[in-house]
Amino acid sequence: MDYILMLLPSMLKGLTVTLKLFFLTLMLALPLGILMGMARISNFKPLKWFMEFYVWLFRGTPLLLQLLFMYFGLMTLGILLEREVAAYLAFVLNYSAYLAEIFRAGIQSIDRGQYEAADVLGLNRFQTMKNIVMPQVFKRVLPPIGNEVINLVKDTALIYVLAISELSRVARTHVMRDDTFVPFIIAAIFYLIMTGTVQQFFKWLESRFDYYR
Amino acid sequence: MYILQALDIHKKFDSLKVLKGVSLQVEKGQVIAIIGPSGSGKSTFLRCLNHLETIDQGEIAIEGEFMARNGPDGFAIYSPEKEIDQIRRKMGMVFQNFNLFPHKSVLENLMLAPMLVKQADKAAAEDKARQLLEKVGLSPKANNYPFELSGGQQQRVAIARALAMEPDIMCFDEPTSALDPELTGEVLQVMKDLASEHMTMIVVTHEIGFAREVADRVIFMDEGLIVEEGTAEDVIVNPYHERTRAFLSKVLMAR
Repeated sequence: MDYILMLLPSMLKGLTVTLKLFFLTLMLALPLGILMGMARISNFKPLKWFMEFYVWLFRGTPLLLQLLFMYFGLMTLGILLEREVAAYLAFVLNYSAYLAEIFRAGIQSIDRGQYEAADVLGLNRFQTMKNIVMPQVFKRVLPPIGNEVINLVKDTALIYVLAISELSRVARTHVMRDDTFVPFIIAAIFYLIMTGTVQQFFKWLESRFDYYR
Repeated sequence: MYILQALDIHKKFDSLKVLKGVSLQVEKGQVIAIIGPSGSGKSTFLRCLNHLETIDQGEIAIEGEFMARNGPDGFAIYSPEKEIDQIRRKMGMVFQNFNLFPHKSVLENLMLAPMLVKQADKAAAEDKARQLLEKVGLSPKANNYPFELSGGQQQRVAIARALAMEPDIMCFDEPTSALDPELTGEVLQVMKDLASEHMTMIVVTHEIGFAREVADRVIFMDEGLIVEEGTAEDVIVNPYHERTRAFLSKVLMAR
């Protein structure tokens, strides 16, 4: 018990690093994902092609490689980012690609009749997206987005490759130093609390949208 | 002056010619019923009038203002988007599948466009919406959501929603085709009420009885052309053309 209490300060510090990456990625990747999802089905072909390429690139390579590239790859090109900044960049770009695909599919799943009804009532394109299409998209994309957010909680562990002391790296350091498995168990409990919170939050969000079908 | 004038409309989807020169003139207060087999182009024609589809050739004018007219090369040129928006506002549209906004209550469905497009204030929009719900007999459903309503009720809401924008012309694209037979009556009744108030209406329909009873003029279309048109008496009771007779006997037989 004393050992656990002794571990807690450094593990909580690791947790804050993890949480910072988690929230920053969400806050930036969600709006970016919405915009990219719309761009992905834009009538402007070059934009559409670029987004297709972008999604292919960031969904098609391991996040781990992207992290290494943002730091070491850019370094060899003469761009030296702080390790944290490189991590944020890789996560935001990677998660935007996944979220863009979810939003694209969500937007495309809305019946054409909804656009036509809005159109004949005189709503312009922006009003149609804002008032008619996107509110319905949000309801439909909640379950897949919940999946991605839970993945994000766990993916944060990857930034250990940039020697950033997030939760799992702190745990590993203790395991190796103290020759005990306990820090891993504590880390696992922390992750379960985080993913459990996300799960409950999304359950609540989905119930908020239950008022219509 | 005609309230709506369409002249020699041609339209094709890729290489398929859907409209091969359809003309229509509507006077204020008239009820026009367009009947014909599926694939005859009747829905496409209605959607062209409303700018839900664009035409290849021909002219469309609403209340004397051109939405599209033929250019020197014989192909239709559309007016600037802003003018089209103004012109289209004179037309309301009711769809086969209602297309209500599922995430909005019945009342919100009716208030949305007046507030967004006409900048009506909330109280005025709500007043108007409640009046219209009363008119279509759905006042008690104001705070329900579309999924809680029957098909017939949904279509009546859709009609009220179109009326909330105070159109001069109401277009109906097979408004009862998606309904169970026992629910068509309530929708047709609302449409009859509208007709009796001298609303100008263009109705694409399979309801021959409705066409006969309400329409001032019945148009029979087949294969992208108007085959026969005239009073209900002429077209439905004493059809001249063989194709009209064949179609009517099929439709009426099915009853």
